Amino acid sequence: MSSLTLPENDCVAPNPLSSCDLCSVRENSICADLGPRELAQVEKTMARRSVVKGRALMEEGEANDSLYILVQGSFRLLKHLEDGRRQITGFLFPGDFVGVRPTDASAYTAEALEDSRVCHFPHKFFDAIASDCPGVKDRLIARGQTEYHKAQDHIVLLGKKTAEERVESFLLLVARSIGDIGESGAVKTPLPMPRQDIADYLGLRLETLSRSLASLKKKGNIVELSRHSVVLAAR
Amino acid sequence: MKEIWRKYLGERMPRYTSYPSALHFDRSVTAADYAEKIDEIGLYEPISLYVHVPFCRQLCWYCGCNMQVENYYSRARGYVDTIIREIEITGRKLNGRGQPTSVHFGGGTPNYLLGDDLGEIVGAIEGAIGLTDSVDLAIELDPRILRDDDVHHLTSIGFNRFSLGVQDFDPTVQSAINRLQSFELIEACVSDIRAAGVDDLSFDILYGLPHQSEQSFDDTIDKAISLAPDRISVFGYAHLPDSLPRQRLIDEATLPGTQLRGVLSELADQKLVDAGYHRIGFDHYAKPDNPLAKAAIEHRLKRNFQGFTDAAASALIGFGPSAISFVDGFYAQNEKGFVDYRQRVEHGELPIARGLQRTKRESVIAAAISELLCNMKTNISAVLRSAAPGDAIRMCSSLERLEADGIIQWNGDAISIADEAYALARVVAAAIDPYSQPQIEHATAV
Repeated sequence: MSSLTLPENDCVAPNPLSSCDLCSVRENSICADLGPRELAQVEKTMARRSVVKGRALMEEGEANDSLYILVQGSFRLLKHLEDGRRQITGFLFPGDFVGVRPTDASAYTAEALEDSRVCHFPHKFFDAIASDCPGVKDRLIARGQTEYHKAQDHIVLLGKKTAEERVESFLLLVARSIGDIGESGAVKTPLPMPRQDIADYLGLRLETLSRSLASLKKKGNIVELSRHSVVLAAR
Repeated sequence: MKEIWRKYLGERMPRYTSYPSALHFDRSVTAADYAEKIDEIGLYEPISLYVHVPFCRQLCWYCGCNMQVENYYSRARGYVDTIIREIEITGRKLNGRGQPTSVHFGGGTPNYLLGDDLGEIVGAIEGAIGLTDSVDLAIELDPRILRDDDVHHLTSIGFNRFSLGVQDFDPTVQSAINRLQSFELIEACVSDIRAAGVDDLSFDILYGLPHQSEQSFDDTIDKAISLAPDRISVFGYAHLPDSLPRQRLIDEATLPGTQLRGVLSELADQKLVDAGYHRIGFDHYAKPDNPLAKAAIEHRLKRNFQGFTDAAASALIGFGPSAISFVDGFYAQNEKGFVDYRQRVEHGELPIARGLQRTKRESVIAAAISELLCNMKTNISAVLRSAAPGDAIRMCSSLERLEADGIIQWNGDAISIADEAYALARVVAAAIDPYSQPQIEHATAV
């Protein structure tokens, strides 16, 4: 077992009932490109873990030698400044990957926004099966979003000219990951992160975020707005 | 101060708020060079912002800042439009990179501008560059023009660090510098600021002003302490009438001599330390629970154009005429003249007039000087290794002289400044500064 920093009671061993056959996100993305033999290998090695809300999956500055796939729940990625301040650098949703390359010092902390579940692969596993099943890692992550995609998204968002554009683009981004399209075409999107995290992530102050959300609602781009979800108008 | 050290007091020393000093900037640096540097700022790199407001209601005769007395607010309003344009131009170049951790409004007199206009500038920064709730927003205030609900307005915009230009409480001194402000006025401002919930209030005090005596200055420091600011900066007035014509309005005969300047600076230090303030560098004081004191204790102190700072950023982006930006060893200064500045911005350009790209050797010296001034010690092996042979010899002999006088101690390759010699920190810095030859006019060491 790899050196996860979580205490024992936060982890569960591979669970027969949550084996790959029953995986809820598999059809959508994660392992869809793997052949049966590869999948058998993956299933043998993969460990599924639950991460309690507020706990870190990986810590900034600490070594990480595992690839994680988020199966259920959500995470925020953050960096700490030397004066104690933090920067929110991204959010992870089901189907997203982190720890794509092994490192001696992670560039960020990944912290659970709610009770979440991840699949966990030691990088040395990919090395071990490289000759048998070449390119498994690449195909595994081919359909998902990695931390590199998250950085790209963030650059695009921060480059937007107005607060409102930033907020709207962010909502659409989240909707694309975890939104649920209703019959009317409106998209119900959970917002598992606190407003302060959204504001920090977008380089806005909380008050400006609230004002922008209110304005988008008034314009009709947002149909419904509540603390932990938003319904976006059909586009 | 030891008698033997007094000979150093009269020496003219750079302030080392930058290295090399702005006197070395030249026109070879262009807006294109600066744009290239901005491009190298990382997505999550902390940056500090400085906004210059070059207007004052009235001229203070001691002032060395780039400012003008402005009687028509419409002109100041035009300036707000221009600086917002400059912020937007810079924001487009940054394109999302760089995360501000602090914004400082300096002057001039930032509160010459109406609260709504200051709010518009802050909003432009948020829109073009980004601003989060944890960013420190600092502003320098002229207490004489602070109106009833100004403080409340400023805190509602988000300003959380206030700095009052106190200078001296003695009316004789105040009239000799054309800055009359009663103790009661300052007291009322402080009470407004505290009532608004501000827990980071700073005073600027100046020694070396006309008519100051040991007794009058003792009284000024007592009064300052009685108002319990969180920080106090005690700067030495730099009388440079040849380059600052307005200072010719001050009668030189009434200026304290070198010896008295030394006494005043020591007096302030002793009283502030006795009152529980933590000495920061050689001229700042902060209550032990203030972020600046914490930064000093944790060795996170940095030196910037305002003096000593706890800001985590090393990159600085300045807005407004004469504002200086600093990115990775590169200094760029905006046009000083208001007309030139506005013209460049209206053409959609970054209004850079001059600057300097530090050489590797200068960067090594800059790092050592900054550490010396912030932490009162530094390892100088890298400085000696990278110095030109002649310079290294001169540095060593200067340092030997300082060691013989008990100002510094060696510990392997590291030098440390004796605790009681903190006020001579810039003299020690000058010993490892090849430019510190006396041909350039600088402020005196103390």
